[in-house]
Amino acid sequence: MLSWEFPPRVVGGIARHCEGLAKALAHDDHDVHVVTLDFPGSPGYEEMEGVKVYRTATELGHPNFLTWVLLFNHFLEKRMADVSRQVEFDVLHVHDWLTAFAGVSFKHYLKKPMVLTVHSTEIGRAQGLHSADSFSIDGIEWWAAYEASRVVVTSHSMKREICDHFHLPWDKVDVIPNAIDVEKYNASVDRGAVRARYGVGWGEKMVLCVGRLVPQKGVEYFIRAIPIIAKRYPEAKFIIVGEGWSRGYLEDIAQSTGHRWKILFTGFVSDAEVIALMTSADVLVVPSVYEPFGIVALEGMATGVPVVASHVGGLAEVIEHDRTGIFVYSRNPESIAWGVDRILSNYDHAKWLTQNAREKLHKTYSWEAVAMRTVEVYKKAVGE
Amino acid sequence: MREDPSSGFSSGPEMPDELRLLCMLHNIGATESGRSLTLQQISEWTRMDAPALQFHLQKLIELGYVQFVQAEGTNKYHLTLDGIRKVLSIYS
Repeated sequence: MLSWEFPPRVVGGIARHCEGLAKALAHDDHDVHVVTLDFPGSPGYEEMEGVKVYRTATELGHPNFLTWVLLFNHFLEKRMADVSRQVEFDVLHVHDWLTAFAGVSFKHYLKKPMVLTVHSTEIGRAQGLHSADSFSIDGIEWWAAYEASRVVVTSHSMKREICDHFHLPWDKVDVIPNAIDVEKYNASVDRGAVRARYGVGWGEKMVLCVGRLVPQKGVEYFIRAIPIIAKRYPEAKFIIVGEGWSRGYLEDIAQSTGHRWKILFTGFVSDAEVIALMTSADVLVVPSVYEPFGIVALEGMATGVPVVASHVGGLAEVIEHDRTGIFVYSRNPESIAWGVDRILSNYDHAKWLTQNAREKLHKTYSWEAVAMRTVEVYKKAVGE
Repeated sequence: MREDPSSGFSSGPEMPDELRLLCMLHNIGATESGRSLTLQQISEWTRMDAPALQFHLQKLIELGYVQFVQAEGTNKYHLTLDGIRKVLSIYS
């Protein structure tokens, strides 16, 4: 397995996806090797629950982003060459375009099939191809999908998107949803203590938003909904968890709402703290404008917090409106405020939603199920 | 480095210059104290002039994304863990 992120190098959903899948495959007695990039403080090699993890230093750098990507792929290839002298692989599994160069090279070198998981596309992330780099990345994504024997995506909306955009044959693409380790989210948490830690007092509402602070996550529209929510719930506090390059811009918008003192930007927090926050919140808002899957909604469902989410991409497949969560229109602060009110104004309904959500989660989104379906894709790729 | 990934959002933000510098520092490998770089080395890589560089580095230090070490009578700069996470969040 090739991925540019693997815990503790966690950027977005790819690291967690690779970790969950790799561990479930290893648990099912498959021999799983992950080649990834290094992270300060992490060993160059370790075994994590049966998964062999090789972390590679990028010994040469370059300020240009795409040149840097080419360089780290070169060092990934070198590491893979070392590993492949000792291990005979049956299939290569590449995650997203960032490791495609190394993956495609090794596909041809080893003469083994390559499976590509497309977690998102450049045209979706950037909502268009507006720069030379975006155009290049789009081309690399197309090339990787062309070279792959099989392509995996996490939602039907992504399948439609990539078949349309990259002109892929419909039957080359398999949909395997993301999953989460449900037990990890069933933590015992002192809600009062957590809420107090974030300045949420007794009887106050805690409205949570978790996601990278980049435009595709739509946090801007959540912040613009705050004055509307605050009219009905003046005691509510708004906690925004995550880091990203548009944080300064979002803090400026928060300032302009007139409710800045009720809004807290936590920055990056650990997984355990995210779980504690979700378990303690009254409502979780996922206001994305582009979301190939939306694992944060699953995480929220697993902790038992009611979820209000945009009706976009994979989110539209994860949630059933008014049964396991509440859908709102994307880029629409009024709609977000309506969704939050629907949860906060009806405790019994919110409770019912979370019970339904947990039931659905257990049935559909386990790593064991994802691993089983992924093995079927591997079998197709090797021609079994 | 990668151009502003938000350019499709017409009313959205532009990536601030100090974050562009942060990305460049990351890409050239200044990600730990053993690989920290002098102002002159950073200037050669990024082609930014010294006053602008100093201004942006100071801001990045205040934000906790960059720290400096003193070696051989000069300051050398590298990313903190938070700085690395910030860059990765931009690229993801």
